[in-house]
Amino acid sequence: MKRVWLLIVSVIFFSCQEEVFLPLGEKDQLVPTIEGIWTDNGIYNSVKITLSKDYYDSLDSKVITDAEVVITIPGTEKVIPFRYFGATKSYRPVNPAERAVVGETYQLFVKWKDFVFRSEGVMLEPPTVDSVTWKFQEKRLFRDEGYYIKVYGKVPFKQDNNYRIRVIENDTLKNQRDDYLLFDDTFGLKFFEQGLELGYAFKENDRVRLELYRMNRDAFDYLNQLVNLLFSDGGLFSPPPQNPESNIKVVQGKSEVLGYFMVSPVLARTVVIQAKYD
Amino acid sequence: MPFLRISVLIFCLATCLRGYSQGNQKIKGQVLDAGNSGALIGANVYWEGKTSTGVVTDLEGGFEIQAEPLPAKLVISYIGYEKSIRLISQKDAEKPLRFFLKPEELRLEEIIIQERRPDEQIKNLDMGKASVPIETIKNIPALFGEVDLLRSLQLLPGVQTAGEGTTGLFVRGGSADQNLVQLDGAPVYNASHFFGIFSVFNPDALKKVDLYKGNMPANFGGRASSLIDITLLEGNKEQLHGNGGIGSISSRLTLDGPLFGKNSSFIISGRRTYADLFLKLSSDENLKNNKLNFHDLSGKFSFILGEKDKLSVSTYQGSDFLGLDKEFGLGWTNWVSSVNWNHVNSENSFFDLQAYHSRYSYKIDINDPENGFEWSNLLTESGIKAIWTRNLNTKTSANWGLHSQYYYFAPIDLDPDPDSGIQAIKTNPKNGLLNNLFASLSYEISPKLSTEAGLRWGLYNQLGEGVEYTYPNDIPNRNLETDSIAFGKLEPMEFYQGLEPRVAFRYLVNEKLSFKAAYNRNFQYVQIASNSSAGLPIDRWVLADRYTQPIRGDQFSLGVFKNFDRNRWEFSLEGYYKDLQNVIDLRNGAQVLFTDQVETEILSGEGWAYGVEALLRKNTGKTTGWLAYTWSRTWRQIAGVSLGESYNPRYDRPHDLTFVLNHEFSPAWSAGLTFIYTSGLAVSFPVGTYEVDNQKVPLYSNYRNQDRFPDYHRMDASVTWRNADKGRKWRGSWNFSIYNLYGRKNPFAYEFRDIYNNDFRFEPSDGKITSSRPGVVMTYLFTILPSITYNFQF
Repeated sequence: MKRVWLLIVSVIFFSCQEEVFLPLGEKDQLVPTIEGIWTDNGIYNSVKITLSKDYYDSLDSKVITDAEVVITIPGTEKVIPFRYFGATKSYRPVNPAERAVVGETYQLFVKWKDFVFRSEGVMLEPPTVDSVTWKFQEKRLFRDEGYYIKVYGKVPFKQDNNYRIRVIENDTLKNQRDDYLLFDDTFGLKFFEQGLELGYAFKENDRVRLELYRMNRDAFDYLNQLVNLLFSDGGLFSPPPQNPESNIKVVQGKSEVLGYFMVSPVLARTVVIQAKYD
Repeated sequence: MPFLRISVLIFCLATCLRGYSQGNQKIKGQVLDAGNSGALIGANVYWEGKTSTGVVTDLEGGFEIQAEPLPAKLVISYIGYEKSIRLISQKDAEKPLRFFLKPEELRLEEIIIQERRPDEQIKNLDMGKASVPIETIKNIPALFGEVDLLRSLQLLPGVQTAGEGTTGLFVRGGSADQNLVQLDGAPVYNASHFFGIFSVFNPDALKKVDLYKGNMPANFGGRASSLIDITLLEGNKEQLHGNGGIGSISSRLTLDGPLFGKNSSFIISGRRTYADLFLKLSSDENLKNNKLNFHDLSGKFSFILGEKDKLSVSTYQGSDFLGLDKEFGLGWTNWVSSVNWNHVNSENSFFDLQAYHSRYSYKIDINDPENGFEWSNLLTESGIKAIWTRNLNTKTSANWGLHSQYYYFAPIDLDPDPDSGIQAIKTNPKNGLLNNLFASLSYEISPKLSTEAGLRWGLYNQLGEGVEYTYPNDIPNRNLETDSIAFGKLEPMEFYQGLEPRVAFRYLVNEKLSFKAAYNRNFQYVQIASNSSAGLPIDRWVLADRYTQPIRGDQFSLGVFKNFDRNRWEFSLEGYYKDLQNVIDLRNGAQVLFTDQVETEILSGEGWAYGVEALLRKNTGKTTGWLAYTWSRTWRQIAGVSLGESYNPRYDRPHDLTFVLNHEFSPAWSAGLTFIYTSGLAVSFPVGTYEVDNQKVPLYSNYRNQDRFPDYHRMDASVTWRNADKGRKWRGSWNFSIYNLYGRKNPFAYEFRDIYNNDFRFEPSDGKITSSRPGVVMTYLFTILPSITYNFQF
């Protein structure tokens, strides 16, 4: 709906825009940002730790390379150690074969300087993806002309229906704020069985990789709040901007922490758009 | 030479013939009262500068006067009426003329004097009450030339706005849903068109508006911060009249006159925009097929039932519609109606009975073969109010009565199209019955000291049919298992009651100076669950229930009131402190639109506000207007927001200066000027950025609204030219106005995002990105916006 309001505002308000410089405040100390992904597929499993920076600082965020990172299974002796890989600027399991198992609860621990951060998630069972199709569509409201992909699947779950689909088009992740595809069961999940149309117009011969995640609610809420924040223009129609609520807690030391920890199965499919199969 | 003689002869003949012709020509006409078309007997009719050769009208208002060389100006004058001067041409002289004279007592400045005693503010007990004559509102330069009631009220001290171009009012630190906007006694739930740009009230149909910012009489209640009491005009009982206007974006027409003889009257007023027509001119196909319009229609029918009884029926209906390419439609409608019966029991005893019904609904239609749906909602308030008033003696008067209100908030209804993959959503209805008993006594303790004391007792019941959810430890949490209890129709669910004392004192130092003090408590049982500053048509109203307690507002105020120069100038200085309990906000990422457990999204806390308001005002003469300055602060403290610390809501604007000036240069020319200066809005700006999920995300402080927009200022101007009164029924005027005269770029919003290729308009989808850096993009509205309106009356 927010996009509709923005359209309305731009139509009826004779609005103009210009770039300006605003003097902005700064944080007393840079805030660690943790992004932990723990899935049933080893290529996704990583923990990135960076520091926040001043708003106008155009350099890359500083990567923390000297943290201790482990994932544990509460109630067991199981500890999955991570180590820093400079090539990916992230921490990865020392044993690449380690991955999440459905039904297990995992705890992420990050120790950096005198601070300890912790988060937790349950590995949920994945839904079923039956097929992926595509069809050429004429231009529609808010949608350009092009090939549109539909994902057909089944969701047999009564709870924890929090999903995300990531789309990688020709090796490039669709990563604009409009590109987030998050859905839950607020409107039911029949649309998934009838075919969920992805809101991107593809061209013939596009190679499209789809990744379907089923998340815990706190990680899903985090991403939803993140998208809301990315759309916030600070205007009348926006709620006051707030940092998304992290599901990572500070268990030792006095610090803030940003980011989130997601435990999720990943279903991935790759298709190449071809007109003859339309 | 023969040619010269013939020419002289022809000239002499022509001159003689012309003189003979005019010497015998008579101008005939009739002089009538513009109000009732009655003949004016004995009116003076003469050519300008030749009073000695004039005539007077006969028993039928007719006259016949010897013609002068035309064209010439004919003057009609009559005691008690405005003089009319019309230029008569040869063409005019060939037919009978009619002159309509307007009674002098209908002149604007006289109306103002009659509506309000010159020393009213010194002697009455009102505190925090502002009355703005509708004619004054009409003279204030307006956005798009659309005279707007609520926007005009924003120019009064103690009334804030949350942003450019909106009609939402924030009165003495209260939020927009804490204002009771009522039309002839019936509440209006969404008082704006076009997402808050215009208010729903057509000024031509209005008689008066009273804004109560502080001490509210005991017979009013239900909102914590203010009452905006709007009265519709009554039609005249003599003759059909009309007025209207053709503006830049809308046109309006009002008709009034007798209904069934001289004991009843009607007034009907309508307004319609034509923004759609401008959209059709666009070369952009997407815009061309869009629809954007609103209309409103109001009517009032008044009946004198006898010497002691009067009945009036008022109704208002207004709708907005936004349609995007036949695939998206959003419409919303207000419909309020009221019936008022006024009865005079005796010279000192009166009885008023009022019944009303207010209905607000919206509907969204998504026309999509796979995910289409229709989403609608409705809320209504029905009420009945009886007031007995008795003047016990010259020093004491009392009134008492009861007021019953029934709220019905229909279930949110999302109905998918037959083949849609979306599941239907239907929440449970919410109902509430609020019964109020009230009484107040006004007593003159001494010639200098007067008091008014009132008490309102509200008894609120949340009623079934409905469902109440239960949570562990009674703390709503959407992530926890819940149980629910179903209640049958009219079955009690939750009960609240509260006493609302109101008391005011006035001490008259002398005829020109008084001091006043007041205390006022209000309970509010409905509020909007929203944390955006603008009121939206789909806002979710919530009733007080087990988890959402009614707002309690307490306000203390003190004031000094002084008149100068034979009451031509008024000065007032008022200070106030307001305390609010149980105000709500929403938790981060709240989803309130479709949930049946809206309590899980709501945070509750307290608020307080204080300030000083100064107003210097001139109400009479050719130059009128006011200068107002307010210093105020507004605070909220809500667990879950700003780490539980107190913070300023967006509309906390410590300094607020307004200057309103109207000047009548001549009967034909007048001009208006307004200037506004306020502190910038309280907002949150980023204090850094961080990277997550491949995004550069602005980092905000944990404390809300610690930054400010730049100060807001703006000047508007208008010039009005009225056609000189030539005694014709039709009288027109042109109004030319400029909003934001000096083109101040007041920010509407700031967006904190990456700037690609050093061009803030460049989008990643536009092409290759060669550079990227963090930036700030400001959106601003309405720089130097001229508009023109033609107004008429007949």
